[in-house]
Amino acid sequence: MLKVDNLNVYYGKIHALKDINFEVKEHEIVALIGANGAGKSTTLKTISGMLRSSTGSITFGNEDISHIESYKLITKGLAHVPEGRRVFLQMTVEENLEMGAYTNPRYIKEGLEDVYKRFPRLLHRRNQIAGTLSGGEQQMLAMGRALMSQPKLLMLDEPSMGLAPILVDQIFDIVKELHEQGTTILLVEQNAGKALEIADRAYVLESGRIVLSGTGAELAQSEEIKKAYLGG
Amino acid sequence: MSLFFQTLISGLSLGSIYALIALGYTMVYGIAKMLNFAHGDVIMIGAYSVIVTVMSLNLPPVIAILASILFCALLGVTIEFLAYKPLRKASPLAVLITAIGVSYFLQNIAQLIFGTQQKAFPKIIDLPGIRISGVEINGITLITLAVTAIIMIALTLFINKTKVGKAMRAVSEDKEAAELMGISTNRTISVTFAIGSALAAVASIFYGATYTYIKPTTGSMPGIKAFTAAVFGGIGSIPGAMLGGIMLGVIEQYSKAYISTTMSDAIVFAVLIIVLLVKPTGLLGKKISEKV
Repeated sequence: MLKVDNLNVYYGKIHALKDINFEVKEHEIVALIGANGAGKSTTLKTISGMLRSSTGSITFGNEDISHIESYKLITKGLAHVPEGRRVFLQMTVEENLEMGAYTNPRYIKEGLEDVYKRFPRLLHRRNQIAGTLSGGEQQMLAMGRALMSQPKLLMLDEPSMGLAPILVDQIFDIVKELHEQGTTILLVEQNAGKALEIADRAYVLESGRIVLSGTGAELAQSEEIKKAYLGG
Repeated sequence: MSLFFQTLISGLSLGSIYALIALGYTMVYGIAKMLNFAHGDVIMIGAYSVIVTVMSLNLPPVIAILASILFCALLGVTIEFLAYKPLRKASPLAVLITAIGVSYFLQNIAQLIFGTQQKAFPKIIDLPGIRISGVEINGITLITLAVTAIIMIALTLFINKTKVGKAMRAVSEDKEAAELMGISTNRTISVTFAIGSALAAVASIFYGATYTYIKPTTGSMPGIKAFTAAVFGGIGSIPGAMLGGIMLGVIEQYSKAYISTTMSDAIVFAVLIIVLLVKPTGLLGKKISEKV
């Protein structure tokens, strides 16, 4: 479904991504794990056109999307929940969700019902300004907003960042549920243990390079991973 | 007592003109994060276009007004496309200097076409005034107040209720996130310039009708006052621009009536400084702290 071929991304002189190659197949959960600054978010930003690779290509479906303008990607079925959630803080919960369906307006009614069913807390706060939500609620809103476009591929950037453990579990349950319902997921996480638990396959990034890959279970058993990311 | 109310009415009327212009400043700032210092000169162009369509082409006033609004909207979009869009990733200072350059460019174009002498603005608003217990309100003032009120209500509904309006708020808050929703930043910026410039055209008609003469530098002073009004109300805030514009006009007219005609601008700016000292984000400017 998504094929990333030989990406090299620079921030000025800093070589942030080095020869990145990976693939997400339909109905998979693929995780990108690695330490802070390894290039995980940069990879997602490059896929969504916020950053450009100087080499290689990104193929989504059968289309080369490496040069498509960022705002056109959602209509192709690619939704990105960015790092730090980035909900519209001065808009209400429901307005945020409506923005998610900006290119998919006929789905608004049904989509709202679906999102409120998944995240009942958002229903109670539908008319509240998003800036007044807690971090966990904002993450739910960011995910709900992305779902409003009915994406084929959902890219999640650090959905568990800064959340209490109980909320982390909740978020991962929802990711699993979405996957079971047929959404393909590309997950970026620092929480390697959790990510490997639910991932079909995973890639490990280190200083802008993919250094390891395998199925979630394989990597969870790997000594290197245990030492570096799972705390022994 | 009648002086008090008379001044209030003239203040509201002048304030309406400032508010209409300030809306353009504040919307463009909110969406494109730039100060469009050529905005004042769009007013001047709007007024000249009415002079041309009414005096030379003999078009009926309503058509002339609509043509002027349309022309200014197109002008705003064109300025943005030619001058500002190529600088989207440039430093804010480069954009600011470009805006000042565009301002002089428009003034010089007007000088080239119309000369430096002032031209009479045609009498296109011809309405009888009314008199309420000693307070006289002329036709132009009535129209100015009514139209401004309608525009403010319509704009508020547009921003809060329509899809395009909500998309504008989304872009003003977070461009990248808005793009991820499928909202084109470039198109949103174009729409903003079109609306802002159309409002400037409306202001130009009231300004021309009130002051009756136009010259190439006509846009500068109301432009600066309206910019002040936008900052006063909280730049980026639409209700702020409305409130700031109205208050600026009212303060200016009261200063003229009760304190000193020559000092009125100094008083207006002194009030601005005091407001900004107490509330640096302006009257309605808000800053929501982000949760991590």
